[in-house]
Amino acid sequence: MSVTRREFGKLVLAAGAAAPFSIVRSARAQPKPGDELVVGIWGGAQERIVRQHVEKALVAKFGCKVSYVLGATPERRARAYAERGRPSFDVIYLNIFESRQAVKDGVTQPPSGTVAQFANLYDIAKLGGYGVAFNPVTIVYDRRKASRPVRSWKDIWNPEWKGRIAWPVYPGAQGTAGLLMAAKVWGGSEKSIDIGFQKIRELKPFAAIQQSQEQVLQMFDQGVCDLSIEFGSVCRRYAETRNPNLEIANPVEGQAVAMNVACIPVGTRNQKLAEEWINLHLSPPCMLAYAREIYYSPTVRNIEIAAELEPKLVLGPDVRKLVDFDWEHVIRMQPQWSSRFNREIAG
Amino acid sequence: MSARAGPALAAPATVWLLATFAAPFGVVILLSLHPHADPFAPLFTQPSAAQFRAILTDSFYLRVILETLALGAGVTLLAVVLGYPVALWLARMPGRWRPLAFAVILVPLLTNVAVRSLGIVLLLAPDGLINQVLGAFGLGPIRGMLYTHGAVALALAQAFMPFAVLALYDVLQGTSPRVHEAARSLGASPAVRFWTVDFPLSLPGLRAGVMVVFLVSSTAYVSATMIGGKKVWTTGMLVWEEALQNLNAPTAAALALIMTACSIGFIAACGFAFARLTPWLAGRPVEAWSLPARLVRALDLAAPAAYRSLLAVALALLLLPLVLVCIQSFNDVPQATAAGFRAFTWRWYEAVLFGGAYVDSFRLSIEIAVVSATVALALAMPAAFALVRHRFTGLTALAGIWALPLSLPLVAIGVGMLRLLQLYTALPPFLGIVAVHVVVILPFSIALLQASVQQLDRAQEEAAATLGAGALRRLAFVIVPGLAPGLAATGIIAFLLSFGEVTVTSFVTTARTITLPVRIYAEASFSLEPTVHAVSTLLIIVTILALAALNRAVRLDRLYAR
Repeated sequence: MSVTRREFGKLVLAAGAAAPFSIVRSARAQPKPGDELVVGIWGGAQERIVRQHVEKALVAKFGCKVSYVLGATPERRARAYAERGRPSFDVIYLNIFESRQAVKDGVTQPPSGTVAQFANLYDIAKLGGYGVAFNPVTIVYDRRKASRPVRSWKDIWNPEWKGRIAWPVYPGAQGTAGLLMAAKVWGGSEKSIDIGFQKIRELKPFAAIQQSQEQVLQMFDQGVCDLSIEFGSVCRRYAETRNPNLEIANPVEGQAVAMNVACIPVGTRNQKLAEEWINLHLSPPCMLAYAREIYYSPTVRNIEIAAELEPKLVLGPDVRKLVDFDWEHVIRMQPQWSSRFNREIAG
Repeated sequence: MSARAGPALAAPATVWLLATFAAPFGVVILLSLHPHADPFAPLFTQPSAAQFRAILTDSFYLRVILETLALGAGVTLLAVVLGYPVALWLARMPGRWRPLAFAVILVPLLTNVAVRSLGIVLLLAPDGLINQVLGAFGLGPIRGMLYTHGAVALALAQAFMPFAVLALYDVLQGTSPRVHEAARSLGASPAVRFWTVDFPLSLPGLRAGVMVVFLVSSTAYVSATMIGGKKVWTTGMLVWEEALQNLNAPTAAALALIMTACSIGFIAACGFAFARLTPWLAGRPVEAWSLPARLVRALDLAAPAAYRSLLAVALALLLLPLVLVCIQSFNDVPQATAAGFRAFTWRWYEAVLFGGAYVDSFRLSIEIAVVSATVALALAMPAAFALVRHRFTGLTALAGIWALPLSLPLVAIGVGMLRLLQLYTALPPFLGIVAVHVVVILPFSIALLQASVQQLDRAQEEAAATLGAGALRRLAFVIVPGLAPGLAATGIIAFLLSFGEVTVTSFVTTARTITLPVRIYAEASFSLEPTVHAVSTLLIIVTILALAALNRAVRLDRLYAR
């Protein structure tokens, strides 16, 4: 059979027109047994919980296989950006301030109602992906060293804490919260951050600059610091198991929102499976496991929490009290603020 | 000897690096020429020196670069001063105890960085060991010991001392006992014998140790981050922050290249200084070292006590993580870095041995490390012979290229690889990771083996040749047995470096290739559990057993020392 040049041209055009359709069709098609979903997530307890409460149900329903790429958020995010449009992940977990920019940059998809539990998400958890856990940042301190309880973010500037604070490094969820709250309570905002930097400078010298939840707990263990800004959830577990003198403050201005967000990269080949995965993550069994095991608060409304857990979590009306920011602006300014932090605060 | 022999010996290592390292390194160079940060910018753009200009005119960056170089030099000095007595102790150790002694030296390489950092924290903290001892004498507490350059230097010296010790061990082993007998018969005291015989003859090993320790400490960032508390900055930390947190690959790439240039400058200066100190290696005449009589008396008086004190401090520093790791592996606390024993538990061992995921990752890491170390040794041995025994055009440049992966912060290699991810993930995952690991461990292997080859007694090879042994027989029956201690030391280091590699691996890992360090790192990104201590304890036990078996199969000392 011979093909003329004109016919060949038509074939190429037809193939070109059909190609996107074939991609969309395969992405939207019903999952088949043996399909593989690749999930980029943190290790430890988080991996264990999703294996138990998400993977098992997904595999039972679709006969698929789930593989994990374990690691920290910066590596995962850098990789997702490097692979924009042709991702090796089907679901990746990011932090609140990265997830919204990732949607804007075309790296991940905006959330949608194709995930059944989307309707039950708090509004704050519907941006930049699907919020799967609230993990707010607040002030934590050694109650033996405080002349009075800490009730406001401004109490950090009480002279009794001078030289005893482990300030959280910027960028990072805790450092971002610390900087933004410092600006907010002293009359600034994320759009006028100078006051935040100025007030943090006033707190110097610091006992240390802390860089992770592990490190700050170690600092409390060793008497290196007496106050810091950290995730309340982790500190609560630490206070219950290791150091009953650690107090987790609930400042009048509110705790700074921090949230784990499940995102579906643009171009995934397993769209349906990814949506089902996230739906299962947002389902009561998984939400309850997170709440019970690591005190992460649920992001959906249709869930009943045991009475003994309620005071340890952020629920219902408390969610509205979480302090939110313009995260797109925050992430855009990150390189500049990071450079400033290194020079003015940490260096 | 054929004129082509040198280039032929140099070829395998060069080809491997060209195939696997040249591409990411090229990407790093291209990224450094981007005028501004844009994660989606094409790789090839109009070249600009903006990043270099910005860094070299910024006092903060310049200060960090200088501080990093000073830190590298301080760590090297500390590692050598503490490592020398340990290497002497190891070289004089009776054969049956040697596997155990080797294991002691390797403890820092067998334990996770979080454990090592915890050890330093427990030592220097306001409630730490030093302050408790001071308190017993009514002194202190000293509050400012942590989060200082000194604390970081101590942490890095502890981590990297094994490189210096093993580089020195082989050359100290190589000094014939007859030389000592001759010096003794001429009336030289032990201190004089050390300074006029052992020390000069160990200079090739010292050179290798200094190079390796300086390069690894000046590119390190995890220990510096954990112990420095951001009061101490290194360029490695800046590269990581710019590349990953700010997605500013151009600044990260330019910083990495500036640091590489500084490191190469240091290596060149080091090579020049050592060449001046060891003229006999180039066949130039040399005068025996001599010491003034007054100095000899002082050394005779002070040396034994100094040796014992330094050895005690070094061994205590090396063993500190071992004690901690064993205690913590049975500690019933939720976080690995918790200080203080709460209750006894076996559950971390259960999680490791019966949890499935750890065992799979452990097996994969062993497989990758065995293959990577074998390939690295096979490539490094001819390269070391080319460096020591041949002179040909381009040899110095080649030596520089071989050292490049060591002088470039690993995170920068990872950033280069991100742009080539499709290429690497197209390879079978196992091979992709082996290719990368060989790049990381090859420079160490070449540096360590170079010192070993220099120590080989060529008279034995000539005698064998005179008696009719061909090249292969000389290799099998003279060269390899002669190099056995060096090969063993280099092989162990190569294996452990590959086994523990996480920085670059975390960029190229796939769902099917989660190595043990990547799993631990991922766990640490949320909350590090004491399972990591159970893994380290098991690893230390396995290492002692493996070294004991190795010592039976291949003696870890030289032929004439037996």
